[in-house]
Amino acid sequence: MRATLLICGKDLKTRLRDRSAVLIGIVVPLGLALIFNSIFGGITGNSKAIALGVVNADRGAASARFVSGVLGAVGRTGLIAIHRVPTAARARALAANGTLDAAIVIPAGFSARVASQRPAAMQVIGNVGNPISTEIARSIAGSYAADLNRVRLSVATVLAAGGSSAGSPARVQALAARAAAAAAPVAVADVSAKSKQLDQKSFFAAGMAVFFLFFTVQFGVTSLLEERNDGTLARLVAAPISRVSIIAGKLLTSFMLGLISMFVLVVATTVLFHASWGNPVGVAVLVISAILAATGIMALIATFAKNSEQAANWQSVVAVVLGLLGGTFFPVSLAPGILSRLTFVAPQAWFMRGLGDLRGGSLSAVWVPALAMLVFAAVSSGIALTRLRHMTEV
Amino acid sequence: MTGEPMLDCRGLRRSYGNLTAVDGVGFHISPGETYGLLGPNGAGKTTTISMIAGLLDRDDGEVTVDGQPMSPQAVRAKAAIGYVPQELALYPDLSARENLMFFARLYGMSTADAKRRCAAVLEVTGLTDRAGDQTKKYSGGMKRRLNIGIGLLHRPKLLILDEPTVGVDPQSRNAILESVEGLSGEGMAVLYTTHYMEEAERLCDRVGIIDHGKLIAEGTRSELVSLVGEGDRVRLLATGNLAKAAAELDGHPWVRQASATEEGIDLVVDDARSNLPAILTTAAAADAAVRSVEVTEPDLEAVFLHLTGRALRD
Amino acid sequence: MKALWIAVGDLRRMFRARANIFFVFIFPMLLILVLGATFGGSGSARLGVVSSDSGPLGTALVRQLQRTPHLQVVPVTGAAALLTQVERGNVEAGIAIPPGYDGAVRAGHPVMVRYLARPDQSSQQLGETVRGAVARQAALLGAARFAVAERSAPSFGAALARAEQVSPRVPAVSVTETTAGTALFPSSLGQFDEGAWSQLLLFLFLIALTGAAAIIETRRLGVARRMLATPTSPGTVIAGATLGRVLIACVQALVIILGSALFFGVRWGQPAGVAAVVILYACAGAGAGVLVGTLFRNESQAAGITLLLGLGLGALGGCMVPLEIFPPTMRRIAHLTPQAWGNDAFNKLVGHGASITGILPQLGALALFAAVLLALAAWRLRRVLVA
Repeated sequence: MRATLLICGKDLKTRLRDRSAVLIGIVVPLGLALIFNSIFGGITGNSKAIALGVVNADRGAASARFVSGVLGAVGRTGLIAIHRVPTAARARALAANGTLDAAIVIPAGFSARVASQRPAAMQVIGNVGNPISTEIARSIAGSYAADLNRVRLSVATVLAAGGSSAGSPARVQALAARAAAAAAPVAVADVSAKSKQLDQKSFFAAGMAVFFLFFTVQFGVTSLLEERNDGTLARLVAAPISRVSIIAGKLLTSFMLGLISMFVLVVATTVLFHASWGNPVGVAVLVISAILAATGIMALIATFAKNSEQAANWQSVVAVVLGLLGGTFFPVSLAPGILSRLTFVAPQAWFMRGLGDLRGGSLSAVWVPALAMLVFAAVSSGIALTRLRHMTEV
Repeated sequence: MTGEPMLDCRGLRRSYGNLTAVDGVGFHISPGETYGLLGPNGAGKTTTISMIAGLLDRDDGEVTVDGQPMSPQAVRAKAAIGYVPQELALYPDLSARENLMFFARLYGMSTADAKRRCAAVLEVTGLTDRAGDQTKKYSGGMKRRLNIGIGLLHRPKLLILDEPTVGVDPQSRNAILESVEGLSGEGMAVLYTTHYMEEAERLCDRVGIIDHGKLIAEGTRSELVSLVGEGDRVRLLATGNLAKAAAELDGHPWVRQASATEEGIDLVVDDARSNLPAILTTAAAADAAVRSVEVTEPDLEAVFLHLTGRALRD
Repeated sequence: MKALWIAVGDLRRMFRARANIFFVFIFPMLLILVLGATFGGSGSARLGVVSSDSGPLGTALVRQLQRTPHLQVVPVTGAAALLTQVERGNVEAGIAIPPGYDGAVRAGHPVMVRYLARPDQSSQQLGETVRGAVARQAALLGAARFAVAERSAPSFGAALARAEQVSPRVPAVSVTETTAGTALFPSSLGQFDEGAWSQLLLFLFLIALTGAAAIIETRRLGVARRMLATPTSPGTVIAGATLGRVLIACVQALVIILGSALFFGVRWGQPAGVAAVVILYACAGAGAGVLVGTLFRNESQAAGITLLLGLGLGALGGCMVPLEIFPPTMRRIAHLTPQAWGNDAFNKLVGHGASITGILPQLGALALFAAVLLALAAWRLRRVLVA
């Protein structure tokens, strides 16, 4: 135990002096998080109300009902921000330059046409770069139009049975009144779901941190290969300590480096970029499981290499592939089919999943991802340990 | 002091695949004795001492250090050994002091004890002034001294040095040899491997000659030399009646050969050192005026040559 | 000519480590694949739909949703799975059409369709789209129900059929749509196109930067000094060092371009334009790599800086997230990187079908980057080698 701690302490001292560990473990991920933050900090992305322009060239009841009734109601939920615009041309200009995401234009005479059962049209102008917002504006207008059409269609359907008589205006009006009074057959009920997603800043902070974690922990067991080449491994083996303590010391170094790196990154991104990682206990459980998984996997790879350079190469390849698959660059879980399943071959995916679930749920959400990562850790470390005995032979 | 040897190894055997590197090597070292393992490159010296130091698993054989059995797991036996590997084994990013403190504590010393010993070793190796610099900045000689110093840190009972002077400049080499002499003077048992005959002759109380993994001869210098069975060569530069002097000298029982040359007399005698006065007296009595005497004793290289038919240095 | 030999030696040394083959050729392709699979065909919101046992009317509603533009319907089995998908963000929102929907509507009972959304805006905004689709179907259903209520039709089915028949003749209130503004990405872009050129640019620069390590190794091993001891001018050594990296970059670009075209059907635009962009950009990257190599003495430190620069500049320059979603200030800052100009050039070549003459401003900017970086690199290298 004492020897293990001594070896770990010596290694940590060396690594921190080396500065490359500090670079990879802290500076680079933090720097990248900073860059992403400055790119995304300005993008309001998900949490923006749709800037919807309204041009009401009409002065009738139908348009008034739409603007204050329908639009007003949606506007009060905060989903859209209504901007009154004087003319359609102005609305088009504003939509073109992106000030507005979309605009709804109600032409003059709309209400009159609606009242007299003539065809009427509303116009939606959308910004070409924002198709989803445009579609939403169209749907809002479309719902209103569909409701008006329901009444017309209801009347028309009844009248169609009545043969040639199109119906007297009085009958039409009575039918229309009854149709308008009838409730819509289908209603939409809003159910809120929680968000088990990391917001963009936190996603990048977590993604970068766990991606570079797999590089940071490489410095532990790989140093065993370096010491073998440098000749100092012979001294360690000649000393009155057990071989297990040498191996344990190296593994502990990996773990400590990972721990220091993750701790600094979690704190720094929270303080500097306002990333929110979530419940500290949950984060700690996930982080420690991730470090153990990373240490085990990287150690296992090192045991197959002949020298530290070869080890570093293979480790880098694996770290990068797992990082990509695990969704640290972007959420691979969105991809259809096999990719969204393949992602769970990477411990990184469990880490990101764990953080997401922690966001939306209770602390208990972390147990399954943590357990998964611990399985990775146990299996890889187990195999590595059997091979590490060979590595301590001089 | 008991009669227990400090190191006792018997029947050491180790193969690498088809190649048998060490085949039945055994010897012992008494406390305070300096034992040399002399052999050419590839003879199996490093493999042998790796097994002795517990670095390498043995295929066969036993090793006992200070009464404790040695194995790669034997912590108590390893504590008695100070190991100085052939290549420099230092941590380049740590200072000399940090290197020493690390190994001192690894060998179980308390922090206070470790500090004392580190200061002492730094003093002895002359590195006190540069103790705070990272060893990667040291000169080759400084690194060598530190390399040996680390082996001495914990006051081992047996110091193992594996060819410590290979590739070293003459000045440093001499310094190393002097310090080893000093250590054995202090009562430390030393196992010293080398392929330089002069070092073995200078330092070692006893020498084991190893070749192709086998210990082919062992003993004090004179014991080994006597295996050769050749006498010392004595060359006299003389004038006068050389033939007569040669004949007279040949009459002595301890003269094996005596022949007159143009410049003097060449002799092969037993133990020239003790018989030298008699040689000079006989020559003088035979009217030969001796101007200079040159005595060449057979050395360990001659012993190796005699035993194996090959030169020690290739 | 000697410079070429130095360059080839560089290439051979680099590919002796098999890991380099992975990073130079395979990994970029992997990234293109995964990017394209994940984000290709965006511009649509994903809506999870549960509609089991909802009957023909339920199916009709789903089809209505599928016809809605910019909406991608993702079938999901079970309400629990839908909730999970919504919460995790795999779909933007979800809609659950209850089992027995069909029967309930026909029987005239009030029917509720549940809309699941996360607390964030984009998730909730999609509710309007769902309401719109429901409203359109509801128009027909409402008319049919009304007819039944008015005893104008014998059954719901008959009423519905009549309503569908009548519907085209009824003067309707409609919504027309036009778009304004210029599309930064015309919809003719393929699923993998944009990802392909942005990843190419990212990796060309990253790999060119790793030339720094090679330079440091050469210095450390004293090979550089040895080279100077031979009758080789420092200028040739410098040229050889940079030429090597440009060569590697061109080989890499060739493999990625051909490979992605072959496997993913990626289009790259006019070959002359592509070649010009790649060569100038590679020169800039080579210069940067050699420059970094002269600034550091330690390979592992240089590795860290290389990663930071390569990924950082890549991110800034729009290789990870498209430039058009950058805020205006950031987009200006982005153009301090060669990556941004490269992205612009490819956008024009592929997205707008420009020829080499159409990207002259971008080529000019890239040439400027290359010239400055190479000059700086040469100056530093000379100082470092001779010192």
